[in-house]
Formats: sequence, C-alpha cells, structure tokens
Amino acid sequence: MQFLQVRGLAKSFGGLMAIHDLDFEIEEGAILGLIGPNGSGKTTTLNLLTGFLRPDAGTITFRGHNVTGIARHRACQKGIARTFQLTKTFLDFTALQNVMVGRAYGQQPARNLRAAAEEAKESLEQVGLLDKAGFMAKDLTLMQRKKLELARALASRPQLLLLDELMAGLNAAEAEDAMALIRRIRDSGITMIVVEHIVKAILGLSDRIIVLNMGEKIADGPPGEICFDPHVIEVYLGKAPCLL
Amino acid sequence: MTGKRIITLVLIIAVLALLAALPAVVSRDSIINMAVLVLLYVALASSWNILGGYTGQTNLGHAAFFGLGGLTTRLLWLSAGWSLFPSLLAGAGAATTLALIIGTPAFKLKGVYFAIGTLALGQVLNVTVGDMFPMITSLPVQQLVSYQLLPRYYLFVGLAVLTVGTAYVLVNSRLGLGMMAVREEEEAAESLGVSAFRHKLLALVVSAFLAGLTGGAFAFYHVGYYPQFLFSPVWTFDALMMAYIGGTGTIIGPIIGALFFVVAKELLALRLVEIHLTVFGTLFILVVLFLPGGFVQAWASIRRALVRQLGARGVRLASRRQAS
Repeated sequence: MQFLQVRGLAKSFGGLMAIHDLDFEIEEGAILGLIGPNGSGKTTTLNLLTGFLRPDAGTITFRGHNVTGIARHRACQKGIARTFQLTKTFLDFTALQNVMVGRAYGQQPARNLRAAAEEAKESLEQVGLLDKAGFMAKDLTLMQRKKLELARALASRPQLLLLDELMAGLNAAEAEDAMALIRRIRDSGITMIVVEHIVKAILGLSDRIIVLNMGEKIADGPPGEICFDPHVIEVYLGKAPCLL
Repeated sequence: MTGKRIITLVLIIAVLALLAALPAVVSRDSIINMAVLVLLYVALASSWNILGGYTGQTNLGHAAFFGLGGLTTRLLWLSAGWSLFPSLLAGAGAATTLALIIGTPAFKLKGVYFAIGTLALGQVLNVTVGDMFPMITSLPVQQLVSYQLLPRYYLFVGLAVLTVGTAYVLVNSRLGLGMMAVREEEEAAESLGVSAFRHKLLALVVSAFLAGLTGGAFAFYHVGYYPQFLFSPVWTFDALMMAYIGGTGTIIGPIIGALFFVVAKELLALRLVEIHLTVFGTLFILVVLFLPGGFVQAWASIRRALVRQLGARGVRLASRRQAS
C-alpha cells in the first residue's frame, strides 16, 4: 500500500491555474522537500492535502483511504497534520493549552483533559519548550511560537506532517536548531513534506525533492540530482548550489 | 492553587447563602424585584457569553431566543393551562429548535457578517411577533390575586445558578477547550482536529436553551407586557454590554457586569432619566477601546501592580533586616 499517493491534482483560482495535473507519492518515513519560486503552488499543495482547499480534479490517497476534499478537522483526525507559513498560535492560551488542543482532538485523542495535559507535555518536551509550558503564547518569541505550532501538530499524533516554511524569519542558528528538530521528528517515524525557501536547508534535509513552477512539477528526485537539473537552475536556483 | 480554590468555594457558598436569605433580611419588594432583575441579567449575559465570549461569535440576535422562550412559556402556561415547569421546558425547547434551524445557515457567515445576520434574525422575529400578537398579555385576575414574589425570586436564583454552572462546566471541559480554540484561531483549531462548525453550533444551542429558559422565567414573573417587548434588541444589547463591561470569556465577568449594570441603571435612571442610556453607551465604547477584557482585566492589572509593589517592599525590608 502506498503511504501517500497524489494523482492528477488540479486547482484553479478564477482564471489562474494554481496546480495543474500534479502526480507524486511519498514513501513512509521519508522527508519530501517541496520547492519552487513564489506562486508556484507549494502552499496550495499543502492546502489541498489538508482539506483547506478542495481540488477541482484528481485524487489523494493516504494509507489506503481516499482523502480527496476531506474536511480540515477530518484530515487531522486521519493523521495528516500541518503548520502554517504565518504562525496561527492561540495567543490567549498558555503554551500547554495550545498543545492540549492537538492532544484532545487529534488522532487517538486523550481520554480527558487531565490526560491531554500530561500527554501534551511530552510534545512540548520533544521540541524543547517544556520549561515554557505555563507561559502565555503571546509572550513567546517567533522561534518559540514556531516550535509551539510544531509541538501542537505533533500532539495530534500524525503519520504525515506538513511544514510550511518553518524556518522563514529565523536566524542561522535558529534554522540549524530547527533542522536538527525536523531530523529528530523523522527519526521518531513521522513522514514529512517540507516547504522551504532556504535551499541549503532543504537540500540537507530532504530524501527527495519536488520542484514546482507555475503549478506544474518540473523535477522530482534526490537532492543531488535536483541541484544539477538545468531546468531547475533556470527557473529557481539560479546557479548550482551543490557546487558551494 | 488549592488555597485559591478554597477561597473561591467559600465565596460561592457565601453568595448562595446570601441569595437564599435575602428575602428574610429585606422585606421591601422593590429590593427583591431589583434582585430578580440582576439574576435575570446574570443568566442572560452568561448565556450570551457562551457563544459570544468563549466561542468568539458575536450574536446580535440573542433576544430572539429570550423572546421565543418567553412567548412559548406564556402561551402554554396562561392560555393552554400547562403547569409551570413543562411550560418553561417547552419555551427553552422552542429556543433550542430555532438555534438548530438557523445554526447551519448562520455559521456560513463569519465575523461581522455573522453579527449582522443574527441582528437581522432578531429583528425579523421582533416585527413578526409584533404583528401576530398585538395585544398586551396580562395575568388573569385569579393569578393576580394570588401573585407571590418569592417563588419567582427563587426561580430566578435557580436559573442564574443553573446558567452559570452550565457555563462553568462547559468551558472547563474538552468541548470548552475546542470552543476557545475556535475563537482564538479558527483555521489552526481545525488543523488540529476541532470541527469549528460543530463547536459553534453546540455553543449556540446551549446559549439559546438557557436564554429561552430565562425568557420563560420572565414570562412567569411579569404581570403584563406586549409580547413583542421580549424580542426587543434591548435584551441582546444589555446582555452584550454587561458581558463586555464585566469581561467576556470569563465566568465572573457577566455576573459583575449584570450587578454593576442594574445597580448603576437604577441610580442613573432616578437622577438622569433618559441620559443613562448615553452614559452606558459611552462606557461601553470606552471599555471596548481601552479595556477589552472589562473589569476582570482591570482587576488583574491592579492585582499584578499591587503584588509587584508589595514584592519590592518585601525585598527592601529583607535587605534592611540583613543590613542590621
């Protein structure tokens, strides 16, 4: 059984073709990098996979279930979690309460709120925020909020995690930290699709990379292959970053 | 934490004892009537707060549920000859049914559009009821002769306790966490497995049930009024203002707001006649602009400042003692 299989996916906004006839799949346990210029359809793809948008055509099959056009909360309950490009933290909640929502409503939800609180602490610890559990989310830094969103998504116990520009706005040291964190999450057995603009980071992280341009897949392969692909260099990379 | 909980528990018991003993202490009907008004508004503002404060959906048609509950109860109790409690339940049931019917279309609207939509709903019912029931409804003579204020007062005590208790249990449950998550960030909540629609509908249904019950209690309490009066937008906006002035999204906020509102209105209306409306309007605008958390937020800020002051003094004292 394929872990995730996408066939003929299409989405238009008015006259604009955001995604056109997209096919791809992921093996369980892999990190798939999704790159491309602005407006190439990366976030649209994540939105289609998580029910935030309904596709005009195509099918999405996740662990043998057809999840095409599924409701947002059902996607999470089926094991597909996500983070947002611009953080959407519950600002008037404590860090712990933020994570408790994922634990109380995600896959195999906790039996009651007390159990949810206990189990949510594990996710906070996983991202290194346990000492901030009682802090109001609005008092956290951007980096901490991004980690909090990650903890929240992890608390919903997903099999597939979609990260939308987790490293955007972070400095070099914080980005290193985030990369190490993503690797640890992979090692815990969670499959990921990672959208990033930091090319060096995505080349280092991904097992496989898909390059989108104007809603179409223009390359699909291991990082070493992608960064020498003349078409990819032309539309996105500008020069071969692997030579650095 | 436990110390705080004990204090809260003692306070709750004290308030309940005070409410139970009030008629024995004060014999003046005017005071009891004012207490009834406070309790009515505690129930109405707390029920509004479940959807408006905790779930973040500003309902400007709350009077529709209050009114429908009151209309149904009064008709069944006075005209159809039902006894009181079945009539009250039927009134609350009618309000709940309305909530279930309008919930699906209303929650297709978001933010300010939801507010406008519910405002329209309230006004449609207001005008329709005004046309259908133009005659004043008064208690018949035999009811008037045997009219007793105390059972009505205790009914409102029970109603206020039920409403506040329901709100407390709900918002401290898993469902309450989901409702507040929807208020904070609807898309994030949904991405974590919370169905925003189901949580909004649940909040609306509970809110409408309690408002309908409150309307029914009013129908039992009041001697004579035009049926349309119960659908007046005043009920919505009074409840909303009390929740905001006290502090939305808190249990104590609507209680403080109702108490403040009724007492202040009484004092202002005596001295200033119609100007009190302007005073409340201005106060409401000031609170929304400068104190979005209401009195509860103001109290929290004052307490923080006090603790800081006392803490600083404690440190100074300690260092002085050390120096000597």
